[in-house]
Amino acid sequence: MKSLLKFVQTYRKVYQHATIFSAVVVVLLFGFFLQAYMHDFNLVYITLFFVFSLAFSAGPISVSNLIFLKSRYVHLGRVFANEQSSISIEIENQSSTPSWAIKLYHDDESVEMMQIKGDSSVIAKLPFTPTKRGVFVHEGCYLESKYPLSTARLTIPIGVSYEGIAYPTPKGKSLRSFISNQEDIYGEEREFDGLIEYDGSQKLSHIHWASVAKGDISVKTFSKEQEVPKLVFDFYKAGKDDEARLSQLTLWVLECERLNAPFTIKMPHKVLKSPQEDIDVILSLLAKY
Amino acid sequence: MLSLASLQNIRPTPLQLLDISYIIVLLPLLLILKVPMLIFAFIALALIKIHKNPAKPIVIMGVFILGVFALFLSQYGAFSFQGLSRLKLFLELLVYILVIVVSMQRLTRVVNFYLLISPILLLALSLFFFHGMMMLIYVIFEIFFLLWMILSHRMGSNLVDSFRASMVMFMYSLPWVVVLFIFFPRISFEHPNYGFRGEVVRHTGHDGTMFLDNKSLLVPSNRIVMEVGFEDAVPPIGTLYFRGSILYIDKKDHWEPLPSYIKRDNQYYYSNQEPKISYKVTLYPTNKKWLYLLDMPSFAVKKASLDKDLISQVKKNIDEPIYYQATSSLSDHYTTQLDRYIYKVTTQFDTNSNRKAYKEAIKIKNSTNDSEKRAKAIIKLFQEQNLTYSLKIGSLDLNNSTDSFLFKQKYGYCVHFASSFVTMARMVGIPSRVVTGYKSDRSNSINNYLPVREKDAHAWAELYIKGAWRRYEATSTASIIEADENTDTNQTQTAKNQEKLNLYLMYIKYKVETWILYYSNIRQLQLLKYAKENPQFVLFFILSILVLVLATFVIISYFRRPICGDVALCTIQPLLKHLKKIGYKRERDETLHQYLQRYAEDNPNNKYILEIDRYYEKIYYGEDKSKESVQALKRVVREAINAKD
Repeated sequence: MKSLLKFVQTYRKVYQHATIFSAVVVVLLFGFFLQAYMHDFNLVYITLFFVFSLAFSAGPISVSNLIFLKSRYVHLGRVFANEQSSISIEIENQSSTPSWAIKLYHDDESVEMMQIKGDSSVIAKLPFTPTKRGVFVHEGCYLESKYPLSTARLTIPIGVSYEGIAYPTPKGKSLRSFISNQEDIYGEEREFDGLIEYDGSQKLSHIHWASVAKGDISVKTFSKEQEVPKLVFDFYKAGKDDEARLSQLTLWVLECERLNAPFTIKMPHKVLKSPQEDIDVILSLLAKY
Repeated sequence: MLSLASLQNIRPTPLQLLDISYIIVLLPLLLILKVPMLIFAFIALALIKIHKNPAKPIVIMGVFILGVFALFLSQYGAFSFQGLSRLKLFLELLVYILVIVVSMQRLTRVVNFYLLISPILLLALSLFFFHGMMMLIYVIFEIFFLLWMILSHRMGSNLVDSFRASMVMFMYSLPWVVVLFIFFPRISFEHPNYGFRGEVVRHTGHDGTMFLDNKSLLVPSNRIVMEVGFEDAVPPIGTLYFRGSILYIDKKDHWEPLPSYIKRDNQYYYSNQEPKISYKVTLYPTNKKWLYLLDMPSFAVKKASLDKDLISQVKKNIDEPIYYQATSSLSDHYTTQLDRYIYKVTTQFDTNSNRKAYKEAIKIKNSTNDSEKRAKAIIKLFQEQNLTYSLKIGSLDLNNSTDSFLFKQKYGYCVHFASSFVTMARMVGIPSRVVTGYKSDRSNSINNYLPVREKDAHAWAELYIKGAWRRYEATSTASIIEADENTDTNQTQTAKNQEKLNLYLMYIKYKVETWILYYSNIRQLQLLKYAKENPQFVLFFILSILVLVLATFVIISYFRRPICGDVALCTIQPLLKHLKKIGYKRERDETLHQYLQRYAEDNPNNKYILEIDRYYEKIYYGEDKSKESVQALKRVVREAINAKD
């Protein structure tokens, strides 16, 4: 009864489109009728009635195949302008019976799910390529099914939308190229290990002046000591125009993230520093620029 | 062996599904394929089996040439433009072409639109060729099977899932089919003939004339002419002659009744010493005026005439079913006066025709003066000719049909036997005439119920001997004729049981044929009339439909139920449904253990939940699938559901 109520409530939300097979059914019905009319064969009448009844009962079956599906967007991950990524949509089947041959559509992109089991859900990854950076709204997705007889194509809008940010397309010169063109970009990274007696070979900068005051000459030792680049990206020097600059900065940010290297971006009115600010926050600011 | 479990692992490809569908729809059509076409079909099948990749164009061309050659050989002799007007031949040709085209397309391994719809076309074509009870069962199976294959393709699932889905769909449609079958108006030609108009095919059946020519093929029709219900058992076979019309005048290629201006006196009662039997007849529309009464009728039927020849007629053509009660005496003769005109007509024959028969007749005539002995001599002459009973006859010389049939062709059916017998009887000087009507077969009856079909149409001779018209069964002189006497006394008990079973099967078949295969607008009107007269029938009918709907829903529920893959999950399903029903939903990403724990915390009174959790863990993860553990889990699940939360 509950299912019937749901069926009645949701029935109008389902759009039905005829397919070529619905024309085949019509031709078949007409042909069978002529055959039955001319020859009065009850076998033909029986076949005719079966074709009619099956086509007729396919209607409610195909509708109930769709209406118990509830969709929602799940976390998308990073999306970059002009780069193919995927939109993840969770489709939950709220009926106890499985839904068959469901296609998730958005514009020309589609994902097919042959079966969504009863009382369970699947995550469909829909290919998605934003054409420009910035905030985007993903909407207009719909579920389609030709189940059971392919005589009708049924669609139902998923009814939810998703607002996300497409980061600028990461492109431009590599971080290695940036570093090689810079002078004095290295800083030092040290990890204090202890003190040892000065023997004249150590760097003067490593002398522990507190020990000198006590009458000893000790030097500091470090378990790790290496030179690290000081990465400061200037917005205006990053490219010829704003889009090129944002793309270049995005690329460097991603490379720095991969190398776990801290960086600073000098934006026109703001300075963005990593790791003080989260990479995604920095990328979002670049996207919204 | 193909088990259910193995079906669960089978996911046929679209091509495999199509192949299976073609095999199913082609099976009945194999019975009509001629040998060359059969050979072609098997070669095509072998090629399809061999080629795992798309066949080369030269192979496809070879198949085409082979197919055309097989078609030519199959239709050789039958093929002509005149032949094409015959629907059966035309349809056969269509089947052949379809088989060739489908084989070619299948070899390309490309599933196109035409390949997809061809199984249904072949199914439709097979309906032209077969319309018996077996085909009825097979057609329903075919429809279900094709549905199964379509759904398998659409769902991309295993065969068990698609079977369950197709069963659900089939059951949804079943009540509609039943209702449509009963009520859909049967608007059709009044006399359904096999084939298009103008076709030279003639059905069996009685229409008041009797042609001897072989211009047309005689097609035995199973259409029921009348149903006879006897008060007692069905009389023996040798007595089941239903009189239709009397033919007096030999027109060489056919026999005719007396001219319409010759009126035969009517009578309403005919006295006879033989025992009488009563019976009820339902006569279906014939568009003729004759009522068929069992030889020899005793009374005129109400609102119908009975003339001196014991022929019964109504005033208007019968265009709707009529019901009448009749009484007859099972006799092969009746006494009557022979007037001069009838004597003249019934002794007339053409002296210039049938010279050989005439020569034999003179010999018989000269051998004895006794009419009965002369008749016996004619029977003996017929028996000596080794005649064969056959519906397919050669071309008779219509100017000398008796000579041609008796001494040259030597095979024919009842009309040739009766016509020749009457001609010879006239030649030996016995007044004689042809009687046409129906001779029924008792083997088609059950209890006191006898259906008479068009194929039971018959012609026999009546000779006027010793003041009475006496029936002579000329067809019985054929050397090859089926024995029709019952041999109950010699039968073993098993044989008797088999016969009894057979009779019941026939009775069921008869009922199915009457109410399904030959269901017509007449039956619809009968039902309506009966419903008008018996309002309780309407209630009964509605209840029957409701029971059918209920039964289909039970089957649908059975096939829609989710399948549990694990015994532990199956066992706790009722509890999960119960919890869902009372609004306690399982959260996303929540394990069953967490779900049950949460419920137990929220409902501490329900002590069974934690026990269920333990048992579930034990069976599912501990793999303790012993009967005791499962039974224990079932018990606690039941108690948990019944417990007040």
